[in-house]
Order: sequence, then structure tokens, then C-alpha cells
Amino acid sequence: MPLALQALLPFIALLGAAAIVLRRPRRSGNGWIACGATGLAGIIALIELLRLAPGEHVDVPYLTTFPYADLAIRLDGLSLALATVTLITAALLMLARQQVRGDRRDPWFGWLLTSAAACAVIFADNLVLVYIILQLLTLAWSGALDETAPRRRGLRLSVQIADTGLLLAAASAIQSVGTSAFSGVPSDTFGVPTFVLVLVPVVVRIGSLAMVLRGPQAPVAFEPAIAWVAPAGYLLLRLLAVMGGRLPDRASAVVLFGVGALMALGFAASAVFERAAPRLTALLLVAQAALAVALSTGSDPLMTVASTWLWLFLVPLAGLANVRVPAGSAAEGLTLLNLAMVPGSVAFVGLWLGGLALNARGLLFGMIPVGLAAALAVIATLRRAVVPRSIGLDLGTAWAGALLLIAAFPILVIGPLVVPAAATVRSVPGGTISATLFGIASIAGSWPALIVTLVVTVVLWLTGWWLRLKAPTLPSPRGGGKRLARALAFPRMRERLATVWPPMVPPWGRVVLWGAFVAAVGIVVTRP
Amino acid sequence: MIVYLPAALFALSLLVAYGSAGRRRQIATIGSIVAATWSLILLVDPGSVTWAIGPIVATLLLPRPGARVNSSFEGLTRRAITLAAALVAAIFLGSRLPIGENPVLLSAVPWFLAALGAAWFASPIDQPERLQGQVLMVAGAAAVILAAVPAGPLTAGVAGAMALMPVAGERWRLPGRLRFPASILFLGLAAAAALVAAIGTPIARVILFDLSFNVSGVVLVAVAVLLVAGAAVAPIGSEWAALLGVVAVSATAPGLRWAALGALIAVATVLKKDGERVAWIAFGVLAITPVLQGLATPAWSARVQAAALAMGLVLVAVAVHAGMLRVLVLPATGFLVIQTLGTVSPTNLVRFQWIAAIGALLLMARTLLSRLIDDGGQPDIIRDQLLFALLLLAISARDSLGLGQLAAALLLIDLAIVRIDVLPARRSGLGARLVTLARSNWPPSVTFAGAALAVIAALQAALSLGLLAALVLAALQLAPLIDRHALAPSPERPRSALRWIGPMLSIACGVGPALVLRMLRL
Repeated sequence: MPLALQALLPFIALLGAAAIVLRRPRRSGNGWIACGATGLAGIIALIELLRLAPGEHVDVPYLTTFPYADLAIRLDGLSLALATVTLITAALLMLARQQVRGDRRDPWFGWLLTSAAACAVIFADNLVLVYIILQLLTLAWSGALDETAPRRRGLRLSVQIADTGLLLAAASAIQSVGTSAFSGVPSDTFGVPTFVLVLVPVVVRIGSLAMVLRGPQAPVAFEPAIAWVAPAGYLLLRLLAVMGGRLPDRASAVVLFGVGALMALGFAASAVFERAAPRLTALLLVAQAALAVALSTGSDPLMTVASTWLWLFLVPLAGLANVRVPAGSAAEGLTLLNLAMVPGSVAFVGLWLGGLALNARGLLFGMIPVGLAAALAVIATLRRAVVPRSIGLDLGTAWAGALLLIAAFPILVIGPLVVPAAATVRSVPGGTISATLFGIASIAGSWPALIVTLVVTVVLWLTGWWLRLKAPTLPSPRGGGKRLARALAFPRMRERLATVWPPMVPPWGRVVLWGAFVAAVGIVVTRP
Repeated sequence: MIVYLPAALFALSLLVAYGSAGRRRQIATIGSIVAATWSLILLVDPGSVTWAIGPIVATLLLPRPGARVNSSFEGLTRRAITLAAALVAAIFLGSRLPIGENPVLLSAVPWFLAALGAAWFASPIDQPERLQGQVLMVAGAAAVILAAVPAGPLTAGVAGAMALMPVAGERWRLPGRLRFPASILFLGLAAAAALVAAIGTPIARVILFDLSFNVSGVVLVAVAVLLVAGAAVAPIGSEWAALLGVVAVSATAPGLRWAALGALIAVATVLKKDGERVAWIAFGVLAITPVLQGLATPAWSARVQAAALAMGLVLVAVAVHAGMLRVLVLPATGFLVIQTLGTVSPTNLVRFQWIAAIGALLLMARTLLSRLIDDGGQPDIIRDQLLFALLLLAISARDSLGLGQLAAALLLIDLAIVRIDVLPARRSGLGARLVTLARSNWPPSVTFAGAALAVIAALQAALSLGLLAALVLAALQLAPLIDRHALAPSPERPRSALRWIGPMLSIACGVGPALVLRMLRL
């Protein structure tokens, strides 16, 4: 099969399903079609990833539009690995939604388009194309063709405005080297300002998770994982790949690490005082994302593997966290376990690898804030932990269990997914990391994943059996934080402000404005 | 001594025109045109006499009432001061921009004619005098430019004939039975122009005796845009005015080019007079550039030309809110400036960029002020003003990749054809979605393509321009919250399929901006 067609197969599956779903609205089988097509697209991406030789990348141009922004697809370890994870997560979310009874809404067309757009962002070959498709992605998840539509308007506009940073970065690349294609941009093209510009859309998307503090309105929220976390992780990792896997200088790396770690600390600390489950999960997700940002600053191959691991598994974790599960169920317990960053969870593997990398460079003290954040996350989840009333095999339980299984057997993903993706970001020499049935071995140390998982499982089992009751919890703030929110609204100040804003300007203000314009033109004409 | 006779004839004609009414005044007005013709013959060559045909016929078509119109003291004072100021400005410009070694009083006569037109336009005693003022302004501008940059008899004759257009715009509408065929013809011609540009067949020039027309890529795109605008969104019966725009963007002789633009402004302001004065000031500022090129000393000519181009463009952006000014004058001026900017040196291009950036800030500040000053007027549409600001930045960003030109072309299409309220938004259906998408900031609308390319192009020119463009783009995302679905009001038109052209064009340009770039690079 021609390569140009192979690269399009995931899109054909997704858009074909979207076309079918559009033609037969409100049919019961639409969910299965959407789920099946998305899963198929994910499997296609995985097969393409497995067929890719180590370090190989393929640029497939379709239409030469501009010399700096062709319509082209880039297939490499990073794009294929992230596309696989994103599409499989999307399929699982659709499956979860399919199992919801009583909700007569028909989200499949929008979800399929969102998945296709997210996949296109990940496959896009140049920065200009990424920017354009990010706008399409925002349109797809928000569904706000009418820009005045109130639904999630603030969030949508924040994302749109933040993406301007990416456009400026693309323009900067075009100015410097005449192209924004990932293949054509030398690693020293981007400086600190450009890096910060690209970081803006990443930060805003991560922040979007925290903005949805009221939790998912629907039983299954699709956007957080597919439209926010996946593009954010991809953008950061891709930018690092373009920059040769390292930040422009050490100072910016230290600052970004510090900011990421502090944000993680802050959000984890906020989670400790949070009672509502959706808000708790949102805060813990942001804390994990902030840690992923912090570990992305390292220029060490092992650190790159660690950050890639964190980003890759943040997507399914975000998906899982946005599926509403019954309180006190096994699914809730396992989800919290994954969010808690305890030993045996997927996030902990990434943190451990990061710690090993820092330790190898004599910077283990850098793990202090990371460890604190992880500890706060554990406390936050323990406060909500309950002994499951029943252990049934539903999708949430299976999903969370699968993530824990991956943490126990990292050999399942290290070779096929993580290392190819990390090797795209920066060169990962052979022997840097390898996986066995029992754990991970790296040049800086090892991680006995299976043993740790077994020990943690036994400890948790014994604890649950011994307690037989709800874990100790702190009382929630009186008024559920509403009192504080009311106080922060500054009602008196707002009343006063309403009397003086907008300020009235006298009509001669226009004369002043024109006078200033003429004076400025005069200066421009007369300057040498 | 004979060289002063045109000035003397002009002075005499002026006195008679102000002191009489009816046929005598008409003859006096023609006398002032004859004086300008005489001056042209002495300054340039006898072939320039053909220029006089147009203004004389136009004056004959504008009969004056037999009785003098009653006037108040304030009115008389205002008229006298306006005329005196205009004549002083004319003699100043005539003295600063001498034609060869001719005496000032000889070379200033065409300036006097334009000044007389400006005075009658600014402080008219009645509507016919106002129209006569427009005729003299167009004719005077052509005469001044012909004196600075001489042209052949046919070109001079056609340039002079542009003075007929204010009268035609006022009195003539395309007959009803011809409107549909004319619209189809215009659309066909636009498609042909776009096709020629897209295929990439280079045509050097179209020449008829001494009259020549440029057919480069930018001109073909401009012609296509103007013809589509004329066919699809111009007021009923005024579709033909698009041809003036076509002449303005394609004529190689500056005298004809700028006279056609003046004629277009006169026709465009017949129905809707908002922004009329600013548009004429912009015309005056822009039309001075060929005169400066021909007559001014090189020491300061180039820098003032760049500043005049930029300032004229800013003033056009301020003037064109709605109506034909927006539909036809904006694209014609925009493409004219794009063409003219190609000859500006890099140093002076920086001046242009500075003024464009200041102009962009001015537009945004004006919009803010219009909402803060409570004068009962209709506030500006914020999204339009931001797009104007981006247009200024895009035109000023003359980059090697041609992105600035491309962004400017897309934004001109957006502002002149798409963002006009010819098709009321429906609530549901595929058509309604298409229209909403076409008028939104989402891809693949032309707004999105134009604005995004403007940011990239501006950054190629200068970091500050790029950042300003990015800020404007960010503000553009917020504008719909304040504007809601506001669009520039459309000229009155019957319901027809032509109303779908704007949305379709928006999507087409948004999907294939590269094709537009290819056209521009022909």
C-alpha cells in the first residue's frame, strides 16, 4: 500500500465513521460505529509505529501550498505513539459513553471530529499546519461555530488566544530558516522567547483541566484527555524534539523545572482540601501534568524517557478521570490509586525514572518538591479513599486496572511506545533503558515494577480488610468554599466600579487622538 | 507675458463664477477649465488639450439655476475662507513643486483648479455646486498629475473624461434589464482574470495607442476582486462603478490611475456619504505621490511619498465604513498601494511600516473612543476595525515570500465582499452554517487565513510589527463578544443567488490561499 495512503488510514476510519454517523442521527448503533472506528484508527497507528524502524521518520507531502507550510504528514515515533494512545483513549471514552443509559444526547459526530482533529494535530508536519489544526480542534470540541455561543466561551477563547503564541513561533521559524517544517528547522532556531511562546498554549490547555473545577457535567467528558492533555503533551514534546531534546540554556531549564514543581505542589496541596471527587481528580491531573512539564526540562536521555512516559500515560489517565464512576466502587478506588502517584502507579514509574536521571547527575535534591507533590497527592486521595463495597468488572475498573498492569509490567509499553517516542524527542542511546518482565533497568538504576506492585497490592488489601470502614477524612470547608468565592467577588468594589466604568470621554478626545497621530507621522517623516 | 495669461483667465473666471449665476456662471467655470488647459498646453504639450473635453462636458451637464441662491453671512464667510485657504494651499504646493523653470503662476493653475473644486465641495452653496466641485477635483487632480508626469493625448483625454463620472454616478443607473447580464458579464470577466493569473500566463501590457494597462498578477487579482464586488455587493444600478476601480488598478499612466480613483470615490459617495470628506482627503494625500515623484527634489521626495502612501491608506481605512466606499474604494486603494509600494526603498518602507503601525493603533483607539464618547452615533464594528488594522500591517509587510501581499489580498476580499450584510443569517440548516463559518474567525474562512498570514508576514518585516499583529489577532478573537453578529450594512439589493458569492468566496480563499499567492506572483 502506498505510504501516502497508509498515513491517511486513521483519518479515513475516523472521517468515514463521522460521515456514517452524520447520515443516520440518533441511531443506537452510532456509538459502536464511532468506538470501533476510533479503536481501529488507534490500532492502525500502533501497527505503523511497530513497522517503523528505530529513529526513522517519514514525511508524506500531499499538497505543496507554501514553501514553508506544505500540507504534509509526519510519521515518527513521537507522533505515532501519541496518536495510538490518544485514539485508544478516545475509543475507551466512547465505549464508556455507550454504556451510559438514559442520556439521549448524540455526541458521536462531534467526538469523531475531535478525535480526527487531535490526530491531525499530532500528525501535522509543520508549525503553521499545527496552528491551523489546533483551531479546528477547538472548533470541534467546543462546537461553537457561532463565536458568540456561551458554551465554554471563556475556555475556548483562552485556548484560541494562547495558540497565537504558536503562530508567532511558526512565523519566527519561517523568518529564521524559511520554513516551519519539523524536518527543516535546525535545533538552534528557537530561543527562550520562542520556547515560552509555545509553552503558552501548553500551559493554557493544562490549566483548562483545573478550570473545569465543577467536574464533568456529562457522565463522560471527552475534551480533557483528547482535546487538552494530548495536544499539550504533544506540543511540548514536539518543540523539545525540534530543539534537539533540550532547552536553550540551563537557566531556563532550571526556572521551568522550578515553576512546574511549584505548580504541582500547589495543585496537590489544593487537592488535599478538596472534597468533591471531580474537582479532586482535576487538581491531581493538573499536578501530574505540571510534574511532566518539570521533568521535560532535562537534557538527559533518561529524563526524556521519564517525561515522555508521563505525558503518554497522562492521556489515558485524564480520560479515566473524566468518566463518572459510582462512589465507593472499585473503579473509583483504582482511579484514585492511579492519580495518587503511589508506587505501583504509572505516574510513579515516570517520577522514579526522573529521579534516577537527576541522581545520576548529582541533582537528587531536585526531587524534593516532586516527592512532596507526590506525598500531597497521596494524602489527598487517602482522605477520600473508601473500601470498595463491591468489586465488579466494569469498564472503569478494567481501564484503571490496565494502567496499573502497565505499571507492573512496563515491558508492555517501554519498547513499543515509550522509547520510540522519546528517541524522537532526543537521541536515546542503546542501553539507556530496557525492560524485563520484572521491571525496568536503566544506566542509572532499576525499578522492580512487578515486586513493588505486588507489595502495594498486598498492603492495600490488608489495610482494606483490616479497616473495613471508611478511611479517616477531614471535614470539608463549611459552605463548600462558596463563602470564600463570595468574598473574593468583592461586591462593594464591583458596585463602585460600575459607577465609574466605562469612563466617559469628552468629544474633543478625538481631536487629541488625531493630533497625536499627525504628530507621530510628522516625527516619522522627519527622522533621518 | 503670455505665460501669465492662463492664471489671469483663471482669476477672471473665478471672479465671474462667484459674482454671477445661471449660464454666465457655467461659462465662467468652463473658463477656469480652459485656463487650466492652456496652462497644460504651455507646460507639457498641445496634445494635452484632450484632457479638457471631459471636464467641459461635465460642466455643461451641470446647469446652474438662473437666480442666485440666498446665502447667510456665516455661509459667505465660510465659503470665502475655504476658497482662500484652498488657493493658498494650491499656490504653496505650486511653488514647492515647480514644473521645470516655468513661473509659479503658470504651473499653479492646475492646482488652482483642484483647489476651486475642493472649496466648492467643502462649502457648497447647493448640491449642483457640490457636484461641480467633485468634477473639478477629479479634473484638477488629473491635470496636476499630467503636468508632473506627461502622458499621450488619448491617456490625457481618458483621464479628463473621469471628470464626467461624478455626474454619471449622480444621474445614471444601469437599466433594470441590463443588470443581470452585466453582473454575469462581470463575474465571467472576474473568473477569466483569476484563471489567467492562476494558470500563470504572463501578459506584459495591454496597449491601445498611448493608453496602456498593466496586467500583472496583483492587477489581475485586483480586477477580479473589484468585478466580483461590483457584481455581487454594489448597490443596484451602480455595478458599472467597478469598471472605474478596474481602470484605477490597471492603468499604467498615473494621471489616469489616480483620476479614476477620484472618480470612483465620487460615484461611491453618491448614495451614502459617511466618511466622504475623509475619503477625499485620503485621495488628495495619495494622489500627491506621483506628483512628488515627478517634481519634488530627491532629497525629500521619497520619504514624503512613503509617508503620503501610508497616511492615505490609514485615512481610507478610517473612511470606509460601509456602502460603495467599502465595497469598491477600499479594494481599489488597497491594491493600488500594494502596487505602488513595490517601488519604495527599504529605508522608506520602514517609514511606511511605522505609520501603518501607528495607524493600526489609531484605528483601535478610535474604536475604543467611539464607545466611550456618548454622542449618540453608531459605534464602529470592532472586528472590522481590527481587520483594517491587520490590513495596514499586512500591506506594510513587504516580504520576500509575498505573504504580506497575500494577507492583504485576503483581508481586502474579506472586508469588501464577505463582511457585508447581504445575506441575513438563518437559524438552521447547512446554508446557515456555511454563512456563519464564512463570516467567523475559524478556519477555513478567509478572515482566519488573512489574519494568520498577516501575523506571519508582519513578523517577517519586524518584531514589533509581528507582536502588534499578534495582539490584534488576539483581540479579534474577543471581538465577536462585543459585536455579536454585526456586519457592515449592505447596499440595497434584490434577493438573488449572487448573495451567496461572499460566503463561497470566503471559504474558497480560506481553503486555497496558496492559489491566491500563485496568482499574485504572476
